[in-house]
Amino acid sequence: MDKETVATISYLSRLAFDKENEEKITKDLENIIEFVDQLDGVDTSDIEPLKSPLEKTAKTREDEITAKNRKEQFLKNAPDANEDYFLVPRVVE
Amino acid sequence: MSIQFKTIKELSFMLRSKEISNHELTIETFNLVENNKHLNAFITLDKEKALIKASELDKKPSELSLSGIPVAQKDLFVTKDLRTTCGSNMLSNFIPPYSATVIENLEAAGCISIGKTNMDEFAMGSSNETSFYGNVLNPWGQNLVPGGSSGGSAAAVAAGIVSAATGTDTGGSIRQPASLCGITGIKPTYGRISRWGMIAFASSLDQAGPMARTAEDCAILMNEMCSHDKKDTTSLDEDVPDFTEGIDKPIKGLKIGIVKEFDLSKLDNDVVKIFEDSKKHYESLGVEFVEVSLPNINLSVPTYYVVAPAECSSNLSRFDGIRYGNRCDNPKDLDDLYIRSRSEGFGDEVKRRILIGSYVLSAGFYDAYYKKAQQVRRLIKDDFDNAFKKVDLIMSPTTRGAAFEAGSMSDPIEMYLEDLFTVPANLAGLPGISIPNGYVDNKPLGLQLIANSLQESLLFNVAHNFQMTTDWHLKTPPLETK
Repeated sequence: MDKETVATISYLSRLAFDKENEEKITKDLENIIEFVDQLDGVDTSDIEPLKSPLEKTAKTREDEITAKNRKEQFLKNAPDANEDYFLVPRVVE
Repeated sequence: MSIQFKTIKELSFMLRSKEISNHELTIETFNLVENNKHLNAFITLDKEKALIKASELDKKPSELSLSGIPVAQKDLFVTKDLRTTCGSNMLSNFIPPYSATVIENLEAAGCISIGKTNMDEFAMGSSNETSFYGNVLNPWGQNLVPGGSSGGSAAAVAAGIVSAATGTDTGGSIRQPASLCGITGIKPTYGRISRWGMIAFASSLDQAGPMARTAEDCAILMNEMCSHDKKDTTSLDEDVPDFTEGIDKPIKGLKIGIVKEFDLSKLDNDVVKIFEDSKKHYESLGVEFVEVSLPNINLSVPTYYVVAPAECSSNLSRFDGIRYGNRCDNPKDLDDLYIRSRSEGFGDEVKRRILIGSYVLSAGFYDAYYKKAQQVRRLIKDDFDNAFKKVDLIMSPTTRGAAFEAGSMSDPIEMYLEDLFTVPANLAGLPGISIPNGYVDNKPLGLQLIANSLQESLLFNVAHNFQMTTDWHLKTPPLETK
C-alpha cells in the first residue's frame, strides 16, 4: 500500500485526508489488507461466489406507480435546491 | 411504583390492570431517560409525540400486543419527521420523509417510540466510540463500553429505561452489545425483517432485530417486526409464526454443536468457565452436546472485512452532499463539493471502510479480494449446512470477553476481532441469539446460539428454557443515576 494507491482510492471514494492523517490511514489500510490476505491461501477453485445468503429471492414485480409525487418533501432535505431541482456548482461553462 | 427493569410482559400487565396509565408510564420512562443522561444512550428524543400517543391510548385503550409499551429505536431506522442521524455528522440535520417498515410495524402494534438511540457511526464499530454524538456508557461499570453498534439500545435496556429496543446486526451489532450489557438480543434470519428504511451499511449482511431483557420479550417484539415487504426485494415471503408459541416446551433430546475450530483456550479462564457452566446447565435440561467441525469458520472475520467494506463503499456513495446530508461551504466545483462534503461528514472508521471497499472493488483487485471473499463466504455457509445435518443448534460464547474500557482498544483489527463469534451467522444469513450467562468482575457475558435458517422459534425456546432455570438475565446494574 503506497501513497499513490492511497491517493487513487481516496479519489475513487471522493475522500481527502490531510498529511497527518494520510500516514495513519496508509498504515491502517496496510494492516487491514494484510489481515484479509489470509484468504489468499484458501483453495476456492470452482466455488461459486455467494453474493447474498438468500439466492432465491429478488423477485420482480409489476412496475406500478405506488407513490405520489413528493418532490417538495424530498427537496426539503437538500442542502441547496430551488422549487424544482437540486442545485450544484456550475458544471458546464 | 417503579417501572425500571420491568419486562414488556410486566408492563403490559400493569397497563391492562390499570396499575399505571399509558401517560404515566411514558412520563416515567422519560424520567428514567433524564436520570440516566450520563449514559448518552439517546441522540434524539420524541417526548411530545410520545405523550400524545400515550394520552390517546388512555382515552381509547387497545388490545394490541405492544399497546403503550415504550420502545427505543436505533437511530439507523428512518423515522418520519423525526431527525435520523445514523450516528453521523453527515446526517445531523436529516429529517426523513417516511418511516422504516420496522418502525411502522411496531407502532401499528401499539408501541410508543420514545426516541432514537445512539450508535456507532453508520453501524461501523463494536464499542459505540465511533458515534459523532459521543460514546455511550455501559451501565455495568465506570467508563465501560456498551459494545456496538447498537450500544445505545443495549444500554437503554440494560439501565432499565425501556423494556424494548430495536437494533441492527451486520456482523454482531445486536448480539455483541447485548452480551456486554447483560441483555437478550437476536439477529433473525437474513430477510425475516424488512430492510426498507434501514440506512444501508452492507446490504447482504444487514438485519434488524429486537433487544430486550428476556428471550420471551424478544419473541413478542419479533412477532410484530417481521413481515413480508414488497419494498425490500430481499424480504422473505415466508409465513411468520407466533414466536411465543411453544416457547416453554422442554428441550430434552436436543443436540447442540460446539465448534471444534473455535479455540476457547485463548480466552480468559473465567470466560471459559462460564461457558462450560452453561453447557452443564443445558445438559441438566437434557441437551446433548456434539463437537462439529466448520473448517472455514475462522476465515469469517477476514471474509467479512472484504465483503462489508465493499458493500459499504457502494452504499455510502449516496452521501454526495447534494440530495440530503452535509454539504461543505462554498464548493468551487462538483468534485470539491463531493470530496469536502464527505470528508467533513464521515468519521475515521467510516472513511477507513469506504477506502478498503474501494480498494477491494477496484480494477485489478476485484477477483483477488471481493470475488475471493464471496467464494470463501460460500465455503463458510456450506460448513454450516453440513453442521446442521448433525445438530439442531450451534453454541459459543457471544464475545471473547466482557466489556472493556472506552479508549482502551485503538487497533482497528483488534476491534474487528470483537466480532469473531458473531460474524459467521451474518455471512451465512443465519439467526443467532445472545443471552446473559454469567458475570466476570460484575461485568456481564453472553452465550450465543445459532440456528438453521428460519429456526428462530427454536432459538427462543432454548433461550427461554435457560432463562426459566437461571437468573443471569434478572440481574440489574449498580444504579448510579444522576
